[in-house]
Amino acid sequence: MEHSRKIIVMNWLRVIALVSLFLLLIPVAVLLYYGLGPMRSSAGYSITVLHSIELTLFSSALAAMVDVALFTPLAYYLARGRDRFAETLVDIPVSIPHPIVGVALVILDSPRTATGMFLTSLGINFYNTILGLVVALVIMSAPIYVKAMQPYFESKDTAPEDFAMGMGASRLRTMLSVVLPSSVPGIESASLIAMSRALSEFGSISIIAYYVLQYPFYGVSPASVTIYALFSGAVSGGLDAAVTASAVMILISLPIALAAHFSRRNR
Amino acid sequence: MIDVNARKKLGQFSLKASLADGGFICLTGGNGSGKSSLMRAIAGLLPLDEGHVKIDGIDVTRSPTETRGVVLVTPGSHIPHLNVDDHLTWGTRLKKLRIPSERISTVKGELGVDFTGRVSELSQGMRERVSLATALLSCPKAILIDEAFSNIHNRLDFMAAYRKLAADARVDVIFSTQDRSDGSHSDHLYVMSDGAAEKIS
Repeated sequence: MEHSRKIIVMNWLRVIALVSLFLLLIPVAVLLYYGLGPMRSSAGYSITVLHSIELTLFSSALAAMVDVALFTPLAYYLARGRDRFAETLVDIPVSIPHPIVGVALVILDSPRTATGMFLTSLGINFYNTILGLVVALVIMSAPIYVKAMQPYFESKDTAPEDFAMGMGASRLRTMLSVVLPSSVPGIESASLIAMSRALSEFGSISIIAYYVLQYPFYGVSPASVTIYALFSGAVSGGLDAAVTASAVMILISLPIALAAHFSRRNR
Repeated sequence: MIDVNARKKLGQFSLKASLADGGFICLTGGNGSGKSSLMRAIAGLLPLDEGHVKIDGIDVTRSPTETRGVVLVTPGSHIPHLNVDDHLTWGTRLKKLRIPSERISTVKGELGVDFTGRVSELSQGMRERVSLATALLSCPKAILIDEAFSNIHNRLDFMAAYRKLAADARVDVIFSTQDRSDGSHSDHLYVMSDGAAEKIS
């Protein structure tokens, strides 16, 4: 009796869960159906759109690699240090409206500010550069990377680390020679999640890098910006082209999201 | 010589144990009596509320684990991606110590490390042999063994060999066990209950 009631409850849970999941996937389904079906337009996979997608894939992959190189220590520190304050600070970049981060980068690099003059004297420019694009993507994806890596580190048995530190290894040394060699699956999965996040970024990069002016992407906009430009009419092609380009972008980013999921499953 | 007076409140449980001895020390007591907490306190992995930890006369109460010269070995204490030989010399390479290869072969022979391969692919008992040998070869001042003898075949022979090697190297050892009769294979016996340690011999 008890048992059968449990099964019924479980089924209702399943219905509710799947309905909510369906609601979540409506935009994706709409874009795929109309973009590849009734509204299909060759301007949606023109050379301009394909270059945009290339730029987005390239800069997002680069941002994910920077995340791994620079932010793995932070994730490990948060997992072992119990530093609540730092933990809260990590979330700030993603909890403010994204365009503000773009504005911040513009100001940081503006000829009117001291920091801007300093960066320019070093030859560092963010505005409409691949560097600026990647920096914005790193700021927006690193918190996601850290939030994915931290529980991975927390779930690891600390006995090997305690053992290594007992033999005289510092925390940093322990991380480098004991923890990281056995954390490759976690890093793979977290960096793919971070890359998915970078692929989907629009707000900050539409300000700092509406288009970039460097080889081999001279005059190319990131994919999300191109889609918005098509939609708003800033670039000719119209709504049909925007919908088709969106569908193409979904087809390309879906495997990355799925890979992130499966590498997490198998770790 | 390990001299510890540990006071620490851990939720409902409170650790209030003293121990001052050298040699091969057996620590026994029921589940939840505080054996592991006391060892973690000595290793610097559990900060104390009050009390002190002295290793060979040096006060390390406020020192981090890495500078204490105290290695904690539990059943999970191994570096999984290394092969056996690299694992054995990990601590010595870290400290840039030169150890004669005869010493390494003696330790391997005495502790029955007569196998090779990646540590993550060994059996639990083999791993424990490797970890305990690694700890000894890293030339610490003290080794704390938390139940890490338990999966080893011919445990008493292994313990006797380990006791001799540690005495030769002048390394103090505290080992925890569920089996109080292990006390007869040690220099000193402490029994823990409810967070306190009583010296029996």
